[in-house]
Amino acid sequence: MPDRARLSLLARRFAICVVLVIALAPVVWLFSIAYKPTSDIFASPPTLLFSPTWDNFSSVFRYFNLGRLLESSLIIAIGSTALSLLIGVPAGYALARSTSPRAIWLAYFFLIIRTVPPIATLIPFYLLMRDIGLLGTWWAVIILNTALNSAFVVWMMFAFFRAAPASIEEAAMTDGCTDFGAFIQVALPTVVPGLIASAIFCVMFSWNDFLYAMFLTKADTKTISVALLSAYGTKDISWGTLGALAHFSTLPIVVMMIALNRYFVQGLTQGVH
Amino acid sequence: MRRDRIATDSGRDVTVVSRNGAASARDAAAFSTRWSYARKRQLFLGALAAPALVYVLAVAVGPMVQGFLYSFDNYNLIRPGSRHFVGLDNYIALWRDPTARSAVINTFLFTFGAVTIEFVLGLGVALLMWRDDWFNRIALGLLLVPATVTPLVVGLVFKALLNPEYGMIGYALAESGLSGPRGLLAEPQRALATLVAIDAWEWTPLMALILLAGLKSLPIDILEAAAVDGATAPQRFRLVILPLLMPAAFLALILRMMDAFRVFDIIFVSTSGGPADATNTLMIYGVKQGLEFFNIGAASAVSTVIVVCILIMAAAFIAVLKPARNRHA
Repeated sequence: MPDRARLSLLARRFAICVVLVIALAPVVWLFSIAYKPTSDIFASPPTLLFSPTWDNFSSVFRYFNLGRLLESSLIIAIGSTALSLLIGVPAGYALARSTSPRAIWLAYFFLIIRTVPPIATLIPFYLLMRDIGLLGTWWAVIILNTALNSAFVVWMMFAFFRAAPASIEEAAMTDGCTDFGAFIQVALPTVVPGLIASAIFCVMFSWNDFLYAMFLTKADTKTISVALLSAYGTKDISWGTLGALAHFSTLPIVVMMIALNRYFVQGLTQGVH
Repeated sequence: MRRDRIATDSGRDVTVVSRNGAASARDAAAFSTRWSYARKRQLFLGALAAPALVYVLAVAVGPMVQGFLYSFDNYNLIRPGSRHFVGLDNYIALWRDPTARSAVINTFLFTFGAVTIEFVLGLGVALLMWRDDWFNRIALGLLLVPATVTPLVVGLVFKALLNPEYGMIGYALAESGLSGPRGLLAEPQRALATLVAIDAWEWTPLMALILLAGLKSLPIDILEAAAVDGATAPQRFRLVILPLLMPAAFLALILRMMDAFRVFDIIFVSTSGGPADATNTLMIYGVKQGLEFFNIGAASAVSTVIVVCILIMAAAFIAVLKPARNRHA
């Protein structure tokens, strides 16, 4: 490699490293304050070095029913993801394989549903849940999350199925396979990355949501995001406790994304192009 | 695709009819079974799509329509009995309320500020990483971390970091005189710009990723031809890369715009609209009206305004997407 090209590559890598530091430093800081004693967190000027402590984790266990919070978040995330995939994937397939000119408009319809501001659905939905007695239950959050998540799944799977060739399914059907069999046995296995990507996004949206959960759950059904917000602002809870709590609220999603990065990236790019 | 084939087949049928009657009867029979097959297939696909469609109509569109109807009522949950039709009063009140007007301006400022910065920085990062090697693949994975951090937590983290006494960034800014003694988020003139910067931190990587995918799909031969013809790097960027990247770039822009327009979490936890309504956006205003003051009528009018704005952006998105798809096909 000529020297100039090598130099330009080095400069580029250095620039990327700078970008990475900016992107990651606040996240690293968030997790590091969990190990900081409260006196160090509020030190002015701020200190970089500190003697690590587990105090913040013990106050998380003292102030929060962590098991119950995680249970709520998990049930809502998994319930909504399962339902969204169950109804969203077949619809995405149907729209991708349909020859009707209306199919593409339906796909756009689902895309737009995803972009609707939460407040437009939240208030009437809140009143509806109150009237039918589901307010304060996991179901209320799961039902509403599923509406938006399934719309997203339809759009994303529409893109994935369109990119997969229909000819194999047609061949299978010519050989006597039923329509449903062709969908389940032939088409689905070709879009496994799409299924994984859809599931990742559903889990992420549901887990990270706090506006819906804040208004639709009550004390014993609230999610970890809601607990995080209510924790903030009470005087017993320090930033350190929040950092410790973030180990349970934020770290799982970050780790999931890094582990399944390939699908995450593929899903994002497929959904747009 | 299949419809096209049927169309051409039946077209051939028509030409056959004029030549040979016996063959045409056979073809017509084949055509009718094929037609009923196509119909059966459409029914099957319709059955697959129906649950999602019904569900979304019932749980997302239904409440939205309900909310649209509420926006013409005087409806306050504190006095539910006094609910009555008031026509456009909620919209007129919204128009007259200076807080609401500033919320509209803030929302647009935030959206355009954030999306512009994210696009410029995102394009820069995408160009830096436009080379498929192990280093960039790892970097891309790590770069996406901000987009996965709970937006609520992002707001809290930056609130702490920007604190002028114990926050690393805030302390440095206050000491060097770049911010006032109470920190950037407490300054009415700079709080919104600070939130734009926080949003840019969170979403620039996503923009970079989408643009990078666009860059990677560019036809390599055209880029090489430009290089062989002696175009300099800035010329290649301006005359070749940028025009070819436009469809992908535009889609990324509008998608981000629709998301930025309904920003809520980071503002809610870091400034909740303050100081002095300087960071009050339509979403913050609407949520306060509805879920703090229980003024359902006013809140519904606000969400109707937001939905209309987003639908306009969505229409622009689809208008661009359609020709782009046709060009690829």
